Amino acid sequence: MNIEELEKQVQLQEDIQEIEHLQRIYGYYFDNNMWGEIVDLFSEEHSESVEIADHGVFYGKKGIRRIYWDMFAGGGQPRQSPPWMQFVVMQIGGVIDVSPDGTRAEGRWQTWLCEAKPYGAFPRQEWLHGYYENRYIKENGKWLFTKLHWNNTFCSPFEDGWLNLPLMGWMPLPDADDPPSAFHTYPDHVHNVPYHFRHPITGE
Amino acid sequence: MDLEELEKQVTYLEDINEIENLQKMYGYYFDNAMFQEVIDLFSENTESVEITDHGVFRGKGAVVRMYGGMVGMKRPGWMFFEVMQSQGVIHISTDGRTATGRWYTPSFECRPFGGTKKQTWQFGVYDNEYIKENGRWYFKKLHWNLTYWTSFERGFLKVPRLSDTPFPHADAPATAYHPYPSGYRVPYPFKHPVTGE
Repeated sequence: MNIEELEKQVQLQEDIQEIEHLQRIYGYYFDNNMWGEIVDLFSEEHSESVEIADHGVFYGKKGIRRIYWDMFAGGGQPRQSPPWMQFVVMQIGGVIDVSPDGTRAEGRWQTWLCEAKPYGAFPRQEWLHGYYENRYIKENGKWLFTKLHWNNTFCSPFEDGWLNLPLMGWMPLPDADDPPSAFHTYPDHVHNVPYHFRHPITGE
Repeated sequence: MDLEELEKQVTYLEDINEIENLQKMYGYYFDNAMFQEVIDLFSENTESVEITDHGVFRGKGAVVRMYGGMVGMKRPGWMFFEVMQSQGVIHISTDGRTATGRWYTPSFECRPFGGTKKQTWQFGVYDNEYIKENGRWYFKKLHWNLTYWTSFERGFLKVPRLSDTPFPHADAPATAYHPYPSGYRVPYPFKHPVTGE
């Protein structure tokens, strides 16, 4: 192997590491309602879309600002929600594939969430699970999101569980560009999120 | 450092990444009941598979016996196993041909119990081995140790395990089945990174 080939291989390892961090950093910002920071993790020019649970599809960087900044951050208002409201999203099991030219990548993750949200007048604690199939781009030496799709497997009350109550309620956002593209929670979730990667042995 | 040494170090990092992906993909195939894909992740020279108290299944033929019955089997959507492959620690042998990996697995499940459906929490530890053949990493040995398997409603303190599940067609009984609260510690495949012990 010559130095150029070796450099390429090192680059690939660095890229995977950086993308994994990007995804986890997204989670650490999300946990603390740092929506401006999240908007900045997305490519300005090449962002495709964001789709979270049944909120609907938001296209382009404009759509990304609309969901995270205008809606989640209330347009930059000081946070109104009480401190007991919590979203802990654990970013688990990343499988990252970088394109041969090293400028694009895809990643599958799963997430385990511990949340507390108001339902009407009542605070509820809940368990959630979901899968990401995301896309990334390298621009000016840095990795950014171009597409984020989080598919919710279940969103269940702490007390009842996924078998008894797989989905606590619908949450479509009126400002979405399109309705959700693939929202089928437990028990209709099977094979709902296609794999971006090929089987490592059979190649299928 | 010369080029050859550098190449070795790069290969080492690639190997760790590939093994981590292998383990995570096992999880992603398992959760959608893609058992042929799971079987294909195992080496022809597989030593054994041992899951909870199902018993030991030796050799690739036994891997097929273990998972093969479930290939193509229609599973109702409510019956599910979300096993989160977490916190892998991978060690590669000095010759770069075999490796060990320890992982944690919190999981959500739902299974039939008699005529009823039961939602459960499960937790366990993998102590796995991998082998590199023809430039690719495969499972050589998979051993999942159950810590607890409890009902969603009651929790591991009250119900550490819901039932025993030995498989009649195993080659040998389980080698290390000691659920909570036994205090059993699955042996670490790795040495202490600082003291080397």
